[in-house]
Amino acid sequence: MRFQLAALSLRRHASRTLLAMLGVAVSAAMLLDMVMLATGMRESFASLLGRTGFTIRVSPRGTLPFDSEAMIGQASEAQAAMYRIAGVTAVAPVLGATIHVLGHATPITAFALGVDPAVQGDYQRLEGTEPTAPDALVASDALLAALAARIGDTLDVAVGFDPQLRTYTGRRRLVVTGRARFIYLSATDRAVALQLGALQAMGGVDRSDRVSLFMLRTAPNVDPEVARAAIERALPRVTALSTAGAIAEAEHRLSYFRQLAFILGAVSLVVGFLLVTTIVTVSVNERIGEIAVMRAIGVSRWHVVQQIVIEGIGLSLTGAAGGLVLGIFTARYLNSILRGFPGLPDAIEFFLFQPDAAFRALGLLVVSGIAAGIYPSWRAASLPISSTLREEAVG
Amino acid sequence: MTERTIAIDERLATDAGLHVGDRVVVSAEPGSSTVDTVRIAAIVRGRADPAEVARSEYRVRVHLDQLQQLLAYGDRVDRFAMLTAQGPATDSALRWINSAAFGFRAYRSREIAVETSKTFLVVSRFHRAIGMITIVASATFLLCIMLLKVDERRRDVAAMRLMGISRQTVVQSVMLESSFVALLGSAFGVGLGFVTAALVNAHYQSVYRTPLRFAIITPETVGYSVLLSLLLGIGAGALAARRLARTPPLALFGR
Repeated sequence: MRFQLAALSLRRHASRTLLAMLGVAVSAAMLLDMVMLATGMRESFASLLGRTGFTIRVSPRGTLPFDSEAMIGQASEAQAAMYRIAGVTAVAPVLGATIHVLGHATPITAFALGVDPAVQGDYQRLEGTEPTAPDALVASDALLAALAARIGDTLDVAVGFDPQLRTYTGRRRLVVTGRARFIYLSATDRAVALQLGALQAMGGVDRSDRVSLFMLRTAPNVDPEVARAAIERALPRVTALSTAGAIAEAEHRLSYFRQLAFILGAVSLVVGFLLVTTIVTVSVNERIGEIAVMRAIGVSRWHVVQQIVIEGIGLSLTGAAGGLVLGIFTARYLNSILRGFPGLPDAIEFFLFQPDAAFRALGLLVVSGIAAGIYPSWRAASLPISSTLREEAVG
Repeated sequence: MTERTIAIDERLATDAGLHVGDRVVVSAEPGSSTVDTVRIAAIVRGRADPAEVARSEYRVRVHLDQLQQLLAYGDRVDRFAMLTAQGPATDSALRWINSAAFGFRAYRSREIAVETSKTFLVVSRFHRAIGMITIVASATFLLCIMLLKVDERRRDVAAMRLMGISRQTVVQSVMLESSFVALLGSAFGVGLGFVTAALVNAHYQSVYRTPLRFAIITPETVGYSVLLSLLLGIGAGALAARRLARTPPLALFGR
């Protein structure tokens, strides 16, 4: 009966109800998108960092990995010191450098990673073999396409140019032994990975026994924060960052998006609440006489309140359901825009649908719809019956 | 030998409690044997550069030869910036460098700006998309409110019609009222916008410690939002008023 009356009341002003539902749906979509934005970056970044099982990153003091061109000197000594720290199970040294592939009209530039192929977390080999020989490398699809090269081809590679002698420096012939996907780079980045020793040797004295960062694995029963602190104590010239610390740093850098999400999400919630409140209040005001009649024939105050609150719930629920669909579509569109950031790793998603967070947000909107109906319905149900009936009859 | 000087950025000076005239020891790496004692000659404020806004690193300006020495970099530089007489002089300089200096590549500042501003183009596209969604949401809200507002006038409209006032006059008066409400709401919204923008700027300027302005309200923005709300107000008013004017007056009274 209550549901029927509520439905009839909503259908009486079909265009108004439809518009209110649309308004709530847009608000719900916006709220959902902002929840997806606020949680998506954190989750996908955490998943990216945790993918290869490395829990600590070590970079030159005061810098973040690959944030500057600074390097860690005496790398072998530092690596040995890190292996001595309790709980550290693997240390992967990484050296980053720019290389030029010669033999084309203009040299093709790529990003090179010097790694230990046995302990590395920078790339995933898709085809071929690991670069275990000093003259071997694995390359990204983007670079292979730019070079029109294949596995087995030999590349003429240099790391620098001496303008006085007019010759390339650190020049070597390297064989492509595999095709790889670089986890922290975008699909369009031209990149190679080769043995650390080979890249260091190509860089001459400037890169001798130097690395850009170390990535460390710790034992499952060891708190990475404890190991991180121990590394900084043992090696004062480095900054060690746990995965949690890296996520916090990334969140700080991307805090603009998180705060934007929070502000717009809150505005959406308020707009949704105001819309339902306005509709229900106007609807109740129009039916003051009707409500007084219901009360006069013995319908309880609680029954009247329930009927009006059901209207609010109906509006919010339908709007939230529409908002769920609309929100997922708009999130995909907005995500495709933000995926255009240059150099963004493939695994990073800005909008991530997480059922728990999404349904909590939409639940909040429905609760606000319920709250929106309570006051006007209680006020209408509490009006003195006789005087209201008289006023309504006289007009 | 005269003492070398450096300039440090304002954030570093604040965080490290440094002042002009203080002497500091600088090195390329912690614990490095190549160190230099220098005097702080200036404290500079970073430019309002969006590219650096999320980077919290400190900046120190040193003399070129001093940095080369500290880094053991030899007689090398990363890049040159060149000032040319505009127009053909720039073209000929580019041609000469790119053909004569084997291994170098000269770019126009504009080309570099296009390359480095890609991030902001993405952010700008994102803002536009969010702006469109916000406009749709606020337009729906406004339309809803205006329809309700006009609907509330059903008894007044009925009285006007019974008094013999023409439908056209009724529609016009309701439209006038709704446009006045929309205009008043827009004025309040513009004021709220200015306050919000000031709060947003104050917040993000303190978070990122930058003079950069994050929210700017331009006359175009104000004009666009006022026009939009006015159009929606008039549209909603016209829609509801025509419906009311077509309904028989007694029906509007509920008889």
